[in-house]
Amino acid sequence: MSKEKNQSLLTSAATRTGNRHFRELSVAATLAVLLLVLAFAAPAFFGRQQLLTTLTTAAPVLIAACGMALVIISRQIDISIGSQFALCSVLAGLLAQSGLPMPVVALGAIAGGAVLGAFNGALIAGLGLPSIVVTLATMVTWREALRWWREGEFVKDLPERFQWFGGSQSSGQAAILLGAGLVFGVLAFAMKHLAAGRFVYAVGTDREAARLAGLRPQGVTFGVFVLMGALVGLAALLNAIRFADVDPKTGTGLEMQVIAAVVVGGVAISGGRGNLWGVLVGVLLLACIAPALVFLQLPPQWEKAIQGAVILLAVAADGWRSRIGR
Amino acid sequence: MNTNGHESRWKTLLRFETLLLLVLAIECLIFTRTGTNFATQGNALEILKFSVEIGLLALVMTPVILTGGIDLSVGSLLGLCAVCFGKFWRDAGMAWPLAAVLTLGIGALAGGVNALLITRLRLPPLIVTLGSFSLFRGLAEGITHGVDNFTGFPADFLAFGQGYYGGIIPAQVPVFAVVAVAVWLLVHRTTFGRSFRAIGFAPEGARYAGLPVERRIALAYVLSGAVAALAAMIYVARVGQAKADAGTGYELLAITAVVLGGTSIFGGIGTVHGTLLGVATLAVLKNGLQLSDQPSELAGILTGALLLTVLAGEAAAKKFSARRARLAALNRS
Repeated sequence: MSKEKNQSLLTSAATRTGNRHFRELSVAATLAVLLLVLAFAAPAFFGRQQLLTTLTTAAPVLIAACGMALVIISRQIDISIGSQFALCSVLAGLLAQSGLPMPVVALGAIAGGAVLGAFNGALIAGLGLPSIVVTLATMVTWREALRWWREGEFVKDLPERFQWFGGSQSSGQAAILLGAGLVFGVLAFAMKHLAAGRFVYAVGTDREAARLAGLRPQGVTFGVFVLMGALVGLAALLNAIRFADVDPKTGTGLEMQVIAAVVVGGVAISGGRGNLWGVLVGVLLLACIAPALVFLQLPPQWEKAIQGAVILLAVAADGWRSRIGR
Repeated sequence: MNTNGHESRWKTLLRFETLLLLVLAIECLIFTRTGTNFATQGNALEILKFSVEIGLLALVMTPVILTGGIDLSVGSLLGLCAVCFGKFWRDAGMAWPLAAVLTLGIGALAGGVNALLITRLRLPPLIVTLGSFSLFRGLAEGITHGVDNFTGFPADFLAFGQGYYGGIIPAQVPVFAVVAVAVWLLVHRTTFGRSFRAIGFAPEGARYAGLPVERRIALAYVLSGAVAALAAMIYVARVGQAKADAGTGYELLAITAVVLGGTSIFGGIGTVHGTLLGVATLAVLKNGLQLSDQPSELAGILTGALLLTVLAGEAAAKKFSARRARLAALNRS
């Protein structure tokens, strides 16, 4: 094979990857530009403590976003995760308050989330109800039930071992990042290389074809919602240990934040397309906007507007590309 | 013949609206017993007064969902329009009618942005309006720096939200009635309504049938934006102030009312009177619980439970009737 041909093969392979991962790469490029600007204009952004704070704030969102990516890839959606998050946070706080050791508290929060997810999953997979309506209903129900139960009261007087798992702040932060990294790594591997991960893509791409191929779409859908709930439980726990008490209003609007990160990361809302690396980049980009505004000394109240503009630009770029492609 | 007549009668009886009317009647019966002053003319009008904003949003959400779309941005747009109206009136020194007209324009424009992205770039409405949900609320927060609050509106403007015609009918009710009738006529008595359903049922089919699919979808979203602006001004007139957080969560209430009213979230099926019944069911529930001295959270819990029960009931009924149809076909052959 001549060298020239080899070269052209190489470049065409590069273009193919470029085309296939256009969204992931363009979002990564946007993130890189933002970080570069920050490196010159506000190097303090990269201070060790600041960076750790930004990342530990983003870690629970990343965990929830991994679950949401699976839900959306399987062609469903879950807008009840903000309420699940609040319930699991309060549950974790109460369990810790009652004197249980931290591993049991962690298991309790995760199991609580899984039960809430199973409730959604049973209605969606079992009865075939549309996921957006079911989770709209459970979102309102759980949130109001929590408000009724706790009357907005914080969970206070938590034992020493709750905040940062009883260690120093930096060891706690390391634990949070490790937890998020582990979840991300396992799921990213499973979605690409394990049969269970491919089932999710199969069901999201074509439910009927998946059924004819011998899969049980209902089982896959149910499993995805249970996993979503369990991940929300874990995210809630890792978020809660950053503070001394548990706020029952925590997680309000989390669903929109997470769905936005997943969509910016290139997961198609029509199901079957997207990967977790894109989700990671999407979460990081959206997580950097708020601190970036502070460090660039821009008015922070524009954060939401900028986030909205980023979401619209990301999807519009995709739409524009496919239009030209046609 | 005979069985056919029997079956169709059953079908009318089991229609969604009838079911919902029954729920509403049960609600009223219970609250008449438990609530103080529930079954009075004054309270009925009060319920109506407080459901106008959600009602307006739900009315125009109906055509949007009929086309198979969804508009998550209406609550945020209500906030943005409220803030813009305040800005025009206080900081730009405009007379309020002029500010109102401009605000309506902004609402329609914002709906147009949604429509443009959805029809021109063929993006899913859920994602587009999720983006504009953040964008519109963010703009409202940015314009007010997150804290600014517009108050002290002129009395003749506030009359639209706080006044009563003849001392009885809340001033916003006639506006609501006009919009309700207009949307009902649009959806049920014009070819526009037909095309909304056709698009929701099968977008490609509608295109091949020669319908201007893009323009019809755009109409639904622009209408949604413009009416959100109208709802914003009624809201401002009722509460007497305009802040960036106006209308938070209203989009979900509006969608709940529409879905509860029997409109399929996948599009193609649904009625405007069903939506009105859905709005009424939610409003009566909230008001009745309040008058029965029940905590306000119970209204939210029951709303979610009601939505799930009604949907699950419908799904079970559908399964049941499908099985019966299969059995009947087997018996015939």
